[in-house]
Amino acid sequence: MRPVVLIAANFLREHRWPVLILFGWIVFTALAAGDFGRGRPSVFDVIFYLEQQAIYISIFTAFLAATAIHNERKSRRILLVLSKAVSRAQYLLAVVAGSWATAVAYIVVFVLSANWLTAHAMLPNGGLWPFAILIMAGVMIATTVALFFSTFCNPYLATALTGLLFCLPGFWHRHLYASITYYPGFPVILQFFSFRFQADWAPRWAVVFAAMLESIVFWILGVAVFDRRDIAVPVE
Amino acid sequence: MPGVLDYEDVTKDYGRPWSKRQVRALNGFTLSLERGEIFGFLGPNGAGKTTAIHLALGFMQASSGNGRLLGKPFGDAPTRARVGFLAENVALYHRPANKLLGFYGALNGMGPERLRLRTREVLRQVELEMEADRNISRFSRGMQQRIGLAQALMNNPELLILDEPTSALDPIARVGMRELLLEANRAGTTIFLSSHLLSEIEMVCHRVAILDKGRLVKVGNTDEMLVSRDRYEIVARGVPPASFESAQALNGRVEFNVAAASQRDALEKVWSLGGEVLSVNPVRRTLEEVFIELTSPGSDA
Repeated sequence: MRPVVLIAANFLREHRWPVLILFGWIVFTALAAGDFGRGRPSVFDVIFYLEQQAIYISIFTAFLAATAIHNERKSRRILLVLSKAVSRAQYLLAVVAGSWATAVAYIVVFVLSANWLTAHAMLPNGGLWPFAILIMAGVMIATTVALFFSTFCNPYLATALTGLLFCLPGFWHRHLYASITYYPGFPVILQFFSFRFQADWAPRWAVVFAAMLESIVFWILGVAVFDRRDIAVPVE
Repeated sequence: MPGVLDYEDVTKDYGRPWSKRQVRALNGFTLSLERGEIFGFLGPNGAGKTTAIHLALGFMQASSGNGRLLGKPFGDAPTRARVGFLAENVALYHRPANKLLGFYGALNGMGPERLRLRTREVLRQVELEMEADRNISRFSRGMQQRIGLAQALMNNPELLILDEPTSALDPIARVGMRELLLEANRAGTTIFLSSHLLSEIEMVCHRVAILDKGRLVKVGNTDEMLVSRDRYEIVARGVPPASFESAQALNGRVEFNVAAASQRDALEKVWSLGGEVLSVNPVRRTLEEVFIELTSPGSDA
């Protein structure tokens, strides 16, 4: 486990600047939605803020994961890492762990910002932590699917394919939604948009657990592909 | 007994099998490294040297054939904890030198106390102990190359694989690197050294392999490889230099080379002129001459 922790920590360190900028963005948009403390924001503004940040966090961390292998191969730094006693599975787990750790930090900043915003809007904030868990489930499935695609695709294509896979059911009839609890990604997005300011609001936990389990499946698929890839050949 | 590093009829193709752009980087490559030797790996650009190294470390998979690293199949992660590797054009994370070495050492499972001691030791060995806390982004390319070697030495490897380790070094640093490799070898490390600097290879390697277009064209003991069986050097005295073609006179001695077939005639000529033969030795060529002979276009090697 130690190599995984070390590589994940190194991943966080390498991405510290974009992560800090997004922290700033989360806080800034919360302040903007709250009119910088001058006026009382509407319930629609607050909900828009929550939905928007949930999507941003998922996309950003998915993109971080999708670009990880490509960037390391392009810079050739992956060679020295994988010349040590580190298996490909451990390496992919480290990338996933680094992306998830980034997401946890984001979500903490997000919940603190959202807490301030809901208090300012005089809305109940009981649903924020369940919503945070839902975002984490979204991040987990988004990063592992993007990472899986990035083991054999260019990172931009991997991110696009992740988006396509997640949104594909959206092209079908709305009534289909109820039957796709176990489809990867899309039900989580639907849950993002189902948030309401009710004291007992909670996501559909089946969707959350399914996303978490599916993220493990996609990680295993990613390892199966990455194990067979030549990593020392030029990426371009 | 298996060697430290064994390739058995390894072939590696780049590109899709149906593509016209498919390239065969290694072709039926077989080689075995013995424990404790310094092995020089030579070849022109594109000969397949780096491919062979990357296969051994599991960065890629052979199209056919197989190989073993320290007795385990290529790609076995725990085995790599006993190997040190320095890549060509080393790429490192931008961190302070001591932290970077700690990171790479820890990836090989080294504990905190051993990491601390070895970091200090290897930084001293590569003469960068005064730069331990400095971020390597501020290092020159030569210094980064030395840090690259330091990370390869962190785990006291049984096998050290070096791909062009002296390419960015100035002559003085090169001498230091050579001393370091010899020191590691004396301590029991087997060294697999790929380089274009033939003089370096000639000075330090016990055995040499020459690779060309993915095929092994020559492998053998360095000294034996450099000795020509075609020409002999004769040193005599008491004969006029003009009697022999391209002879050189020095302190009353005359030195000249002759083809192996005419060696007997030359010796009889010395004696018939009343001279004395001081020595007869096979001509020693440089590795560069051998390399060019074996890898130049039209060579029948």
